[in-house]
Amino acid sequence: MFNPEQFINESIQTLQETIKGRALIAFSGGVDSTVCAALVNKAIGDRLIAVHVDTGFMRKHEAEQVKNIMESMGLNHRFIDASKEYFSALQNVTDPEEKRRIIGKKFIDIFERVAQTEKLTYLVQGTIAPDWIESGGELRDTIKSHHNVGGLPDKMKLKLIEPLRDLYKDEVRKLARSLRLSISERQPFPGPGLAIRILGEATKDRTEIVREACYIVEQEIEKASEQGKMTLPWQYFAVLLPVKSVGVHGDKRAYGDVIAVRAVESIDAMTCAFSNIPSDVIDIISNRITNTLGDSVNRVVYDVTNKPPGTIEWE
Amino acid sequence: MVKIYVIDNGGQWTHREWRTLRYLGADTKILPNTTPFQILNEEEVDGLVLSGGAPRIGLENKLGNCAEYLEKASFPILGICAGHQFMARFYGGDAKPSKTPEFGRVELTLLTSDCPLFEDVPPVSTVWESHNDEVTVLPVCFIHLAESKDCKIQAMAHKEKPFFGLQFHPEVEHTAYGEQMFTNFVSICKN
Repeated sequence: MFNPEQFINESIQTLQETIKGRALIAFSGGVDSTVCAALVNKAIGDRLIAVHVDTGFMRKHEAEQVKNIMESMGLNHRFIDASKEYFSALQNVTDPEEKRRIIGKKFIDIFERVAQTEKLTYLVQGTIAPDWIESGGELRDTIKSHHNVGGLPDKMKLKLIEPLRDLYKDEVRKLARSLRLSISERQPFPGPGLAIRILGEATKDRTEIVREACYIVEQEIEKASEQGKMTLPWQYFAVLLPVKSVGVHGDKRAYGDVIAVRAVESIDAMTCAFSNIPSDVIDIISNRITNTLGDSVNRVVYDVTNKPPGTIEWE
Repeated sequence: MVKIYVIDNGGQWTHREWRTLRYLGADTKILPNTTPFQILNEEEVDGLVLSGGAPRIGLENKLGNCAEYLEKASFPILGICAGHQFMARFYGGDAKPSKTPEFGRVELTLLTSDCPLFEDVPPVSTVWESHNDEVTVLPVCFIHLAESKDCKIQAMAHKEKPFFGLQFHPEVEHTAYGEQMFTNFVSICKN
């Protein structure tokens, strides 16, 4: 079995031996990067700087949450608003792999800039096993290029450190609990963020739509689980589809966007089964999305695909 | 400590096989499928898992050095998915593109109750699949162990050697008795 205490002690020791200078950690505020930051912080203290990049594709209220996490952990941190840069880099881009590569590369560009100004030598990432497995290479097919793998240039000045490379999410959560981190049960959120929950071009307008839809799905599912109507799924969110459908709004024809609701049960993200959301909860979600986003969304569908053949996210 | 290595044929779940073996207390390591048999011999492995992978065994006949392992090994070998299909072809059976490829949840039915690999596994259970090809002809030196609705040869075992083939994936969480099957394989390797 996995022994979190042993892992923590061993990796702090290895990190102390490996990291000689100052390091930067790519900090999203999710379970992986937060655990990683806690480990490296224990190992090298304030020689570590946590850098959070706001890509413009974060969820509602996420910026404040991430700032709070960094502060409550006592991390030396920087918050970089790069949303304009990201929106312009993704203009007219519709291919999911191209989106992921552009986003990944931009992260590295930003980290290298920070590293140069602050004289940092190491880049720490919370990469876990599914990230590099699905990113492929040699014999292994590329399912999707994860931003923290596919965005890495062949030659990078920064030295890469990935202490969680061989772990899966369930193991990282065990570390988080053992380290008493408040984010231990946070649901996974992909590095490219909402950009890969917008099928087709990730414009500012479409980001606002999917951001609100994701917020509604999260709120309603969390409420239903608190009320004991269902157990909290492993991951739950909304996807904005690139098709339009016909509807009727107050006796008038509507022609609008479609939102897909996705909720899955998993342990490690390598396989998943879709969640059985009770029909009254689905009903509430559907109503609230089409009423709140009435100007753009007039249809909601529920994704009933397992992994395989699907993946958890749509892109 | 029992030493069971995982041969990586490029599968999405190769690393899961390594994790499962590690959790069961085995000394384990992932090796590329180009590793010469001599190295396995020198390291005195007690067993081998041939992972699945993207190569289409139904369409091509090569899988790294897997042929050499099957030819020379006296220790137990568990072939999974592509590893299983390759094993069937190596012993004179065949693998072809599936009429109905299976992805995700499938019901597995055991055809025999006395295979050590399926000890403490119920006659019908849920397994997780991901394959475009399948074994279409069972090699004459193998026993047919399990089937599903759309794929006949889900599991097989060599009649004399401790070699097993599974079309489904015992290494993933969603296969209900997957860990039990790995526990059984570890016991087979210990003996």
